[in-house]
Amino acid sequence: MSVLSVKDLRVRYSANGPEILKGISFELQSDDFLAMIGPSGAGKSTLIRCINRLVEPTGGEIVLLGEDVRALRPSELRRLRRNVGMIFQEFNLINRMSVMDNVLSGRLGYTGNLRSLFRHFPKKDIEKALYYLDRVGLTDHVDKRADALSGGQRQRVGIARALMQTPKLLLLDEPTSALDPKISREVMALIMGIAKELGVPALCNIHDVQLAKEFCNRIVGLQDGVKKFDGETATLRDRDLEEIYAMEVL
Amino acid sequence: MSATDTHIAGLGAQTTLRRKRQMKQALIWTGVLVFAAWCAHGTIIADTDWSRVGGRSGVLASIGRYMQLDLGLLPELVRPTIETFMMASVGTVLGCFFSLPVAWLGAANVTPSKTILYPVGRFLMVLSRSVHEIVWALIFVSAVGLGALPGILAIAMRSVGFISKITAEAIENIDAKPVEAIRATGGNQFQVMYYGILPQIYPVVLATIIFEWDINIRRSAVMGLVGAGGLGLLFFRQMNSFNYGGVSMVILAILMLIILGEIISHYLRKAVI
Repeated sequence: MSVLSVKDLRVRYSANGPEILKGISFELQSDDFLAMIGPSGAGKSTLIRCINRLVEPTGGEIVLLGEDVRALRPSELRRLRRNVGMIFQEFNLINRMSVMDNVLSGRLGYTGNLRSLFRHFPKKDIEKALYYLDRVGLTDHVDKRADALSGGQRQRVGIARALMQTPKLLLLDEPTSALDPKISREVMALIMGIAKELGVPALCNIHDVQLAKEFCNRIVGLQDGVKKFDGETATLRDRDLEEIYAMEVL
Repeated sequence: MSATDTHIAGLGAQTTLRRKRQMKQALIWTGVLVFAAWCAHGTIIADTDWSRVGGRSGVLASIGRYMQLDLGLLPELVRPTIETFMMASVGTVLGCFFSLPVAWLGAANVTPSKTILYPVGRFLMVLSRSVHEIVWALIFVSAVGLGALPGILAIAMRSVGFISKITAEAIENIDAKPVEAIRATGGNQFQVMYYGILPQIYPVVLATIIFEWDINIRRSAVMGLVGAGGLGLLFFRQMNSFNYGGVSMVILAILMLIILGEIISHYLRKAVI
């Protein structure tokens, strides 16, 4: 079943600026863990932000969970966004808040203004936060400030925050680029394990081809805003990689 | 042209350039000195009533009158000193409330309308700062009468400019990444501001408020000169009755209060940062 369908997606940041995405189309199935690979500046981050409209597309169609994303009004968009968990390259945590408050902020889409004002989250949210913090291995760091943690730990906070949304789709924007190789592997394994366990599909921007091959069942290759490859991981040949990365084989 | 020739030509150009630069500097300094002399002549030499200054002993005697402290004034000092302190504190708090909307309008990245409301916010910041606190006090004394209230309002109005400007600048300089994360969770405008922006700016804003409060103690000490309560009023009365010892007592009270404010704000600032 298709969770996400993108057709002829186009983005320009300014009216006469260059076109960042030049008509991208792809589908995401409900059991996919899809890797979006490509060199820096290929448009991966822009593409993933179009899906929950953190970036406004200038053309094309996005259908997510049966809804036409581009046609949504602001309140409908917020309702859709809370179904989409997002994990960021630089974690995007609120540094001056505790780990717990950061994780709880994943529930904001479900929380009223008055409760948000006093950070008075329902008890079941706190229970849920404790459960996910345990799941990502941060039980000992619940009350620490987010900026007191190491990179790998911070990304785990980011994962827990995304899970708090009870997402129906995970968007991962280079979740491991700021981490060392060993921690990267651990974090990817953790995300994939949880995604499989919850039955949530994921779209993952990643530039480490090795990691992509290891963890993802499908790969889409992007270069300069154009799709260069789309297929099962096993069908990715070195020739495709050369084209995506425009690598000169010496 | 040989290498030596180029060398010599380069040397010639350098010397002329350096001489020109030195000439220019000399000209600028002469200009500054002439201007300073002209100012001094106009204000000090031509504008002073030298016959009234008297001799050296006269000047010293006048200053000496302030040295005989009027300790009898002590009990009368307590209330106005406390009032001054309270005016500064209440005025600062009120100023913070006024600053919130102004900062919101005047921060380019969050303002609801960049074409209309942003300039309005910026204008309010300038207005607050360009009108002197004594002038604000005069306006409010004529509006709400004598007492501490016009002083509080004047201090609040005068505080808005600085607090809202620094707050707006802090908002403009925030890291956009946490904001993006809160938007991605489906947070609304208020939640984005409260969770994404506020935690990032609040140390700066709090430090600014403490600083402003410190300054406001000074400001509220002179409010009484125009009838807006506090130590200034007492100062004014002592001056009018030629009680120079009393004037010194008031000045000492102001000094003590400011030192106290300095100490408190030092520790508050430490606690915040």
